[in-house]
Amino acid sequence: MENHQTSLPMKIVVAVLFLFLLAPVLLVFPISFSGEQILSFPPESWSFRWYAALANNSQMMSAFTTSLGLALVVTVLSLAIGIPAAYAIVRLKVAGSQIWYNLFTAPLLLPTIVLGLAILIIFASTGLLGTFTGLVIGHLVVTLPYALRVLAVSLGNLELACEEAASSLGAKPLTVVRRVTLPMMAPGIVATAVLAFLVSFDEVVITMFLAGPRLTTLPVALFHHVESQADPLVASVSVLLVLLTLAIVLVVDRTLGLTRTFVK
Amino acid sequence: MHQNIARDGKLASTDAHLSLEGVCKSYGNFTAVSKLDLGVRKGELIALLGPSGCGKTTTLRMIAGLIQPSGGRIAVAGREVTFAPPYARDMGLVFQSYALFPHMTVARNVAFGLEMRKLARSEIAARVEKALDMVQLRHLAERKPRELSGGQQQRVALARALVIEPSILLLDEPLSNLDAKLRDEMRTQIRDIQQELGITTVFVTHDQVEALSMCDRVVVMRGGAVEQVGTPHEIYEEPATSFVASFVGRTNRLKGIREGKGAVRLGPELVRISSYVADGEIELMIRPHRISIAWHEGQPVGNAADGENRLTASLARITFIGDLVQYHFHSAGGEIIVEQATARDTSQRRVGDMATLSWRVEDTFAFGAER
Repeated sequence: MENHQTSLPMKIVVAVLFLFLLAPVLLVFPISFSGEQILSFPPESWSFRWYAALANNSQMMSAFTTSLGLALVVTVLSLAIGIPAAYAIVRLKVAGSQIWYNLFTAPLLLPTIVLGLAILIIFASTGLLGTFTGLVIGHLVVTLPYALRVLAVSLGNLELACEEAASSLGAKPLTVVRRVTLPMMAPGIVATAVLAFLVSFDEVVITMFLAGPRLTTLPVALFHHVESQADPLVASVSVLLVLLTLAIVLVVDRTLGLTRTFVK
Repeated sequence: MHQNIARDGKLASTDAHLSLEGVCKSYGNFTAVSKLDLGVRKGELIALLGPSGCGKTTTLRMIAGLIQPSGGRIAVAGREVTFAPPYARDMGLVFQSYALFPHMTVARNVAFGLEMRKLARSEIAARVEKALDMVQLRHLAERKPRELSGGQQQRVALARALVIEPSILLLDEPLSNLDAKLRDEMRTQIRDIQQELGITTVFVTHDQVEALSMCDRVVVMRGGAVEQVGTPHEIYEEPATSFVASFVGRTNRLKGIREGKGAVRLGPELVRISSYVADGEIELMIRPHRISIAWHEGQPVGNAADGENRLTASLARITFIGDLVQYHFHSAGGEIIVEQATARDTSQRRVGDMATLSWRVEDTFAFGAER
């Protein structure tokens, strides 16, 4: 039971740091309620017109649906591939585990622009450009390293004795995984899901190479929108994105506890 | 009760409920366990005792099926299980870390093994209740393991292992994470339950008190091999090697040279030994509380009685430990510690006081000095 007494100077430093990190994010909130035609701060009049404009902008709305669906599919696939892969590497220690692990997590170290270009070249010849499948594969390249990393750490921190105890009590290997290993990995699995979802939902660079005129994601649509028009629509979209992220984080905190999920 | 057990621990294979024959385990060049032979009778509580790295835990894990032996044979009730997977062995395992399932309640933890055996729900509930009663934890059935104290968690682990009525109970240092007082209680409780159920048990420990006080027989191990197998009494009173003598109980070690058939020379003095040992350099071991002191108070000390060894020594230090007082002496054979129950006049002795130390010849353990 430690008693944390934070001194006043420390509180000020922390407040300044938070302000520095959050100021740009906070700025979009007032801007999104602007009544002006162009992006400016502070706005001279207030309205909900840009939220209404967003609801009527079919391009943005369909991009949002695509992003949401894409992120969900990518999250599910990241777990479906990441969990068995982490188990094979950490628990079964299959031949060359360390090499596999390094190989799988290597894309984290590569510049995404290079990855995007490489995927573009391959997809161009296979007809996957501008398709949903293509986007899923492209995003998996980015989310899988994160997923494998978090899952492997989470599995590696589990006490092996629990699985051994289950086995000695008569549980066959698959039953041990289902009844003991996976439930004990739950915080790691939730963390992976959130991470994969957010990474996929925010992905811009690779998606720019792969998205087509008929199929695009919200971040890319936003990017193109800003290129051609400087209206406060982007602010209202940003507000919605911030709120969505906040909602996810809150759900995780309420169900599992943030510290337990992300720090440990 | 134990007279039919050979001193080297081997039993006729029909007699042993659990038998290990020539079991070994090596990792590359490192030998963790070499050529281990052991027979455990039905209902017996046997301890594997030794310092860390002696191979006792590796042996237990091979019995449990968590490690595959590099060679040899393990059989339970005549059925070979050497390479059977752990889930097919019907053994109850209790870990040092308890290894309770953190996401399940106490009752669900205990029920796990029964669920794996596909028993009817009503029978599972009844047996879980009975097992929790046995360890006096029925009132905590719906708690999660992390809400329990260490001792309570250990009892849940014990209940979980016993509820499946395993053919063998395996305990891996089950008491070492508990504080001293709780350890004493758990020792008695484990022994009582083990006797009541008559369950064959292998108990791994590095604590000689646990091994001596709880077990029918003790296997002392060192460097992957068995040093001695015997009843606690045999291990303590007739240690087979100098390692056993010094690992189990406290002991004085004196260095001397073999002289004639039954004596060892320590400087100017001779000490008689009862058993044959190697020639040359000899290590003598005497338990500190088996030595009596005759202080030199001016008058000469009488002649040595028959079957008694004597050594003149000077007092170097006194350590007072409450119930006991330790006298540290300088002698021709090296330092000797003598332990006595404290008395009122304990504090009267001064450093430099001379005394004649005496002990019985059969309390003198002699071993060829180790190189």
